[in-house]
Amino acid sequence: MITFEGVTYSYPGATDPVFQDVNLSLPEGEFVLVVGPSGVGKSTLLRCFNGLVPHFSGGKLSGRITVDGLDPVAATPKVMSQHVGFVFQDPEAQFVMDQVEDEIAFALENAALPRQEMRVRVEEVLDLLDLAPLRERRLETLSGGEKQRVAIASALALRPKVLVLDEPTSQLDPKSAEDVLHSLTRLNADMGLTIVMAEHRLERVLPFADSLIYIPEDGGQVLYGFPEEILAHIDLVPPLVALGKALGWSPLPLTIKAGRRFSRRLPIASLMPVKKPKADFLGQPCFSVEGLEVAYGSKPVLRGLDFEVHPGEIMALIGRNGTGKTTLLKSLVGLVHPNRGQVRVLGQDIAGMEVADVCRKIGYLPQDPNALLFADTVMDELRITLRNHGLTEANAPIPLDALLACLGLTDKAQAYPRDLSVGERQRVALGAVMVTRPSALLLDEPTRGLDYVAKQRLFELLRGWRDQGMAVLLVTHDVELVAAVADRVMVLSQGEVIARGDPAEVLGTSPLFAPQVARLFPNTGLLTVAEVLPALEIAAVA
Amino acid sequence: MHPAAWFAWLAGAVVAASSTRNPLYLVVLLLIFVLVVEAVRSPNVYTPIPVAPERFMLFIVPVSALFNAVSTHFGDTVLFSLPDFIPFFGGPVTAEALVYGATSGLLLSVLFAAFAVLNLAVSIRDMIRFIPRAFYPVAVVISIAVTFVPTTLRQIQKIREAQAVRGHRMRSLRDWLPLFMPLLVGGLERALQLAETMTARGFASNATPEKNAFTQVGTVAGLILVLAGGLLRMAWGEALWGNVVIALGALVIGGVVWQMGRHVTYTTYRRNAWTARDWMVLTGVAVTLVVLFVFSDRLARYYTPYPAVALPVFEPLIGLALLGFMIPAVVAVRGYLESVQVPVMEGQRPS
Repeated sequence: MITFEGVTYSYPGATDPVFQDVNLSLPEGEFVLVVGPSGVGKSTLLRCFNGLVPHFSGGKLSGRITVDGLDPVAATPKVMSQHVGFVFQDPEAQFVMDQVEDEIAFALENAALPRQEMRVRVEEVLDLLDLAPLRERRLETLSGGEKQRVAIASALALRPKVLVLDEPTSQLDPKSAEDVLHSLTRLNADMGLTIVMAEHRLERVLPFADSLIYIPEDGGQVLYGFPEEILAHIDLVPPLVALGKALGWSPLPLTIKAGRRFSRRLPIASLMPVKKPKADFLGQPCFSVEGLEVAYGSKPVLRGLDFEVHPGEIMALIGRNGTGKTTLLKSLVGLVHPNRGQVRVLGQDIAGMEVADVCRKIGYLPQDPNALLFADTVMDELRITLRNHGLTEANAPIPLDALLACLGLTDKAQAYPRDLSVGERQRVALGAVMVTRPSALLLDEPTRGLDYVAKQRLFELLRGWRDQGMAVLLVTHDVELVAAVADRVMVLSQGEVIARGDPAEVLGTSPLFAPQVARLFPNTGLLTVAEVLPALEIAAVA
Repeated sequence: MHPAAWFAWLAGAVVAASSTRNPLYLVVLLLIFVLVVEAVRSPNVYTPIPVAPERFMLFIVPVSALFNAVSTHFGDTVLFSLPDFIPFFGGPVTAEALVYGATSGLLLSVLFAAFAVLNLAVSIRDMIRFIPRAFYPVAVVISIAVTFVPTTLRQIQKIREAQAVRGHRMRSLRDWLPLFMPLLVGGLERALQLAETMTARGFASNATPEKNAFTQVGTVAGLILVLAGGLLRMAWGEALWGNVVIALGALVIGGVVWQMGRHVTYTTYRRNAWTARDWMVLTGVAVTLVVLFVFSDRLARYYTPYPAVALPVFEPLIGLALLGFMIPAVVAVRGYLESVQVPVMEGQRPS
């Protein structure tokens, strides 16, 4: 169905090719995952399927590609659009029209199909993706997951045999991501649609994949095979697989159910995490909130919150979408004014203070770091924040070179920030808010769009700053992140805190929020792979 | 309602409004148009008008009146005098000039309200369907621009917050740069992404239609004819021949555009049906215009405050005829009521 023979591609003006001598043969009806570190060329490989590489991107392509009997290079994207549907990462930038039904019909109008045929196809695609109740809605009123389903529907309206998706769920919250994946697996299972997808968060998708394509970091040979085989070779794996590799489970489990078959054989009952000395958080809290009530117009968002975060502590805040987590962060820095209640930073009430002054003491990293970046070089970004606060490089609270080294960006000091990868851009934005050496840090969904390597780096950064005495508040959906770094967890629902405490207590038993390790070893208090191995050793000795 | 009916309504409204400066008739028209605006507001059409017509009027009428009063110095009723040595503004300020300025402002408000109705009643998609086939890519570009407006507004908010968080304060003009740059760059990046999406969906330009001789010669010939006709009318005073030549030139250009459009292949998904309601609206507009222009003479619609300001005359027939513009409001409300009616189950009597 899809074959690559000796395919090599390099970007225009680049000396080294992105990948060389790629050989693949994908049969019809498969669900293929493309994995690899960030920036390694997954998107580029996907764009070879419908001719966007080289027609849209330029560059030099050699070798032979066949998709559904056609050569994408010769046929051009216009012809390939009827054989290969393509869905991109950002749900915000894929639409031409403002209504759902019009958007789906757009591609059909372009193909100059007769009206009757268009109506049939629009109906069929609305049903396939459960979009019928949304058909009259304006696209901007839809959630991210619904928008991505509309994008898939628009691609499927032309009845392609192959659907290619470039990280479709990376910008979505877990519920929306699940809806999209559910639709995709149904399309693959019921309709026999061939699906090729690039994805970082393997936890969600691995159970459904038939095969994996792995693109290694150093330009080595691109691998293709069954998931269990390929995963044995690579490092970027979800906790379940990492544990399986460490304990020698074979075949490697891809689902919790498969993993439980192995974990049941272990002495679960006697497993306990190695007790960390419980830090006593005495002394003045770094920032605190009393009786906070916030409403947008007449709609209450936060109802009477009370909590404090101490220096040297990482607090995680989790909860469903729309429960007010981002609003809470914004009220901590003064971007949103509460109706009632007090916010104190370092003992001082921030009511009436300008946001810029508050942010000298609390750093806030918003969900979309791109909105922060506009300078020509990374170093300039740091200097701009300094200038905004009336400081110069000479009397900067942290020497800029040291800050760049801490963030791992020393060799990118003169690079254009928007050219960097997602993880690097996030670190530049972090640098831009950390340059005044604030005592606290607020992070809103910091792991969105990051691969496992970048996430590890972020974990280490946060732990390092925490150990230096910083107070950190993390808002996230990513329970693995919470399991890895948080000292305390709060669960927010409908504007109130409904649970708070130790991560092991709050996450360990929750059916919704338990990380993979906790699901494998229920009621033990274990949350990460790093805790399991020592615990097993102790249990073996005992 | 069919978009063509709305366009016809708008044309009639503009013609009727421009035909009189009588403030009483203009006020009646303004009230009618405001009523129609409120009746046709639909949650599915996104084209916000920047300001409500009433507010626009409250702003423009005093401004226009004052400006006219201090710049035009004719009229019998002098209110006070500005010193003569001020250029342009010096001289007597008269009540007549004030009233004239006010009526000009009122006329502008009425036109604004009429266009607001069209903006709210007809979605951009329906409007651009009237762009000739040959310019289909232009129509798509306009559609995209409108789709991007809400996204861009949200981006501005996000950027303002992000910059505030790194200490940015709006103090001087230079402080706009940190807000503008990410918006521009972000917009360009999104545009590129959208271009890629559209390419992937098959929206690539067809091979450029051969520039055949007919297109080139036709365009030039048509333009020359139109110009010649204009000259005939104005310089030589030959109104009839001038109009004929202009019409000929317009025909030639129309033919060229139609020919160019034949190469563009696309079909339309939505079809607007022309219903009895559209006939009703058309009839209303036609009756109004007939009464205004055929059954009343020019003098009945004419009003000027010069040389001495006097109360305007209100002729009942004309006032009544203006109500013809209210039919779309009736149609809209009736349509809304039908859509919310509870369906009657079989065997039950409607309550």
